[in-house]
Amino acid sequence: MDYSKLKRRSSFPFETIGVAIAFSPRLESLLGEARILADKFGAQLLLMHIGERTRTKEAKLDELIRKLRIDEKKTRVIWHEGDPVNTLLELCKLNIVDLLIAGAMQKENVLKYYLGSVARKISRKAKCSVLLLINPVKEGTRFKKIVVNGAENPKTIHSVNATVYFGKHINAKSITVATEVHQDGLTMAMATESTVGEASKLRKEFSEDELNKVQGIITKVSEHEGIEISEKLIKGKPGYAIRQYAESKKADLLVINSPDVKYGIIDRLFTHDMEYILEDLPCNILIVHSRITG
Amino acid sequence: MIANLTHDDLIIFLLAISTMLILARIISELGKKMKLPMVMGELIVGICLGPTVLGKLLPGVHHYLFPLTTNSNVSLALDGIFSISVIMLLFVAGMEVQLSIVLRQGKAAITTGFGSMIVPFAIGFAAAYWLPSVFGMSLESSSRLLFALFLGTALSISALPVIARILMDMNLFKTKVGMIIIAAAMFNDLVGWLFFSVILSMSGQNHTSMSIVHTVIYVIAFGAFMLFIGRRIIDKALPWIQTKLSWPGGVLAMSLGLCLLCAAFTESINIHAILGAFIAGIAIGDSIKLREQARDIIHQFVTNFFAPLFFVSIGLKVDFINNFDAGIVGIILVLAYVGKVVGATGGALLVGLSKRNALAVAFGLNARGAMEIILGTLALNAGLISQPIFVALVIMAFVTSLTSGPLMRKFVEPEKIG
Repeated sequence: MDYSKLKRRSSFPFETIGVAIAFSPRLESLLGEARILADKFGAQLLLMHIGERTRTKEAKLDELIRKLRIDEKKTRVIWHEGDPVNTLLELCKLNIVDLLIAGAMQKENVLKYYLGSVARKISRKAKCSVLLLINPVKEGTRFKKIVVNGAENPKTIHSVNATVYFGKHINAKSITVATEVHQDGLTMAMATESTVGEASKLRKEFSEDELNKVQGIITKVSEHEGIEISEKLIKGKPGYAIRQYAESKKADLLVINSPDVKYGIIDRLFTHDMEYILEDLPCNILIVHSRITG
Repeated sequence: MIANLTHDDLIIFLLAISTMLILARIISELGKKMKLPMVMGELIVGICLGPTVLGKLLPGVHHYLFPLTTNSNVSLALDGIFSISVIMLLFVAGMEVQLSIVLRQGKAAITTGFGSMIVPFAIGFAAAYWLPSVFGMSLESSSRLLFALFLGTALSISALPVIARILMDMNLFKTKVGMIIIAAAMFNDLVGWLFFSVILSMSGQNHTSMSIVHTVIYVIAFGAFMLFIGRRIIDKALPWIQTKLSWPGGVLAMSLGLCLLCAAFTESINIHAILGAFIAGIAIGDSIKLREQARDIIHQFVTNFFAPLFFVSIGLKVDFINNFDAGIVGIILVLAYVGKVVGATGGALLVGLSKRNALAVAFGLNARGAMEIILGTLALNAGLISQPIFVALVIMAFVTSLTSGPLMRKFVEPEKIG
């Protein structure tokens, strides 16, 4: 397969939006969300079902496409059999999908979480941006409050820009770039050797340094008229702290970078970073794949 | 018959503890002004109060204050305190191991950590196994194996707190190089202490020695239980403990209580108590629910009360002048530097760091600090090593810690950080 068109492709605009279709009770709502987003972004819609193609399923999908007034000229349906996750991701690469939409349970049961549900597996492995909707509605979710992870990472600026692009198209009110400050190392380094003054000075400098970095990211962000952008420092373990923050802020969408490394079962057993979010989704999640790492 | 501390015993015991704590603090603070690590001050106080200085200059005062060989009641009480101290130090060492940091750095941390362990381990093991006479040891084959395993482990560990401090001072803590060093050091700590527990169990001090297979199975089973199930229970319990019980007494008592419980459990199944404390430390320290303030309080309590007592006690037990052997010190220093620098540089180069940054990582990981001294003390108590080797390990710990920062500074490339 030739994936050269994918390399270095910008994470936005969303020209092709893929939808992972399972014939579950939430299908209508998910298609409704996809239709609205495709309209707003002017994107092609690619409906992908991995599983047996039957007349019943075809009839059901046709009926929903008509009912939801999905533009058939800009929509393609792909039926394929095989491993749900790998086949779906392969199709996304082949069709240069920019955004893949999937429904996801807010919290999986323990066994399913460790074994990995389709939505979670997609989130860990996708080579395109993924939007996980925990409670899709056919009228379309209103993404008013968006929180984006301002982690110190080369991908972050791309994620923030993608968030602004997303926010402008869906009329978001506010974007908060939140950066997590984890100070365990400070405790370790200062336990015996520092006075109270030195310790608090060091902590303050550490926090100010983080704040400067996040402010630096915001100043680099492309045009964001109409959307209020602010920064926020949150203390705690990466992944967990931002999950808690998004939950407490009642965010409609949490935007994070795609993972830097391949996540496996060991990362679920010793939960860290993105796994804290996937373990218990605080709201809808947009995982931005900036494709800068291929 | 139950032995009780008499009125006089209690006075001596309290005088001994207070002398150790106060002098250790004064000397350590003076040392800090000269940029020396606190542990060095504590050890110097021990040497001054012990047989090396006070025992020679004022033997009467030394035997009155620290009657380790003449008063079994006071000796036993002090020994109890020192044992709890080392258990607490291992608990805090465990709390410093953040599995999430190791996993986040992934291949880079594990390759660098593995390289920085396997080469020093191999060099140390080979030298001790085939040339025990160089270290003044003439051992039968089983003891020789244990000695070789110990020396390999002793050369392969790193001192996480020392490294963290150096990185903080150099403003490298959050850089790519810094995070690789920290994660690799955590990996070293984790593997090193698990392995050392197995060695101690095999030495069978104070109890029947176990087969290596049984020991390894027990270590893995206990570790797996604590890190998979115990950690989940701790995650559920900590919010309740931190909000419903008195603060910070509640979290302090429950954490230290759990540490001692795990230590008692591992000791009861013939694995050294330190393993229980270390694993309990990882389980609590890695919890997302542990407040920063609680972590800080536990650290402060242990490192400012138990650590000075432990490090001063080392000087009370060992004569550092009579047991100083320049030859052994030289060999251990060479093995320590060559093993760590070659292994860690190789590991860091494999994950794509530049040559200079790889050397910076290697010299960072070369710091052994207090961890080496704790490891050496336990090995000395278990009869795995002689006093001259112990003295050489202490000297190596200081030399590697003191040279770590300047050597890192010499090699690290600021333009390539990040």
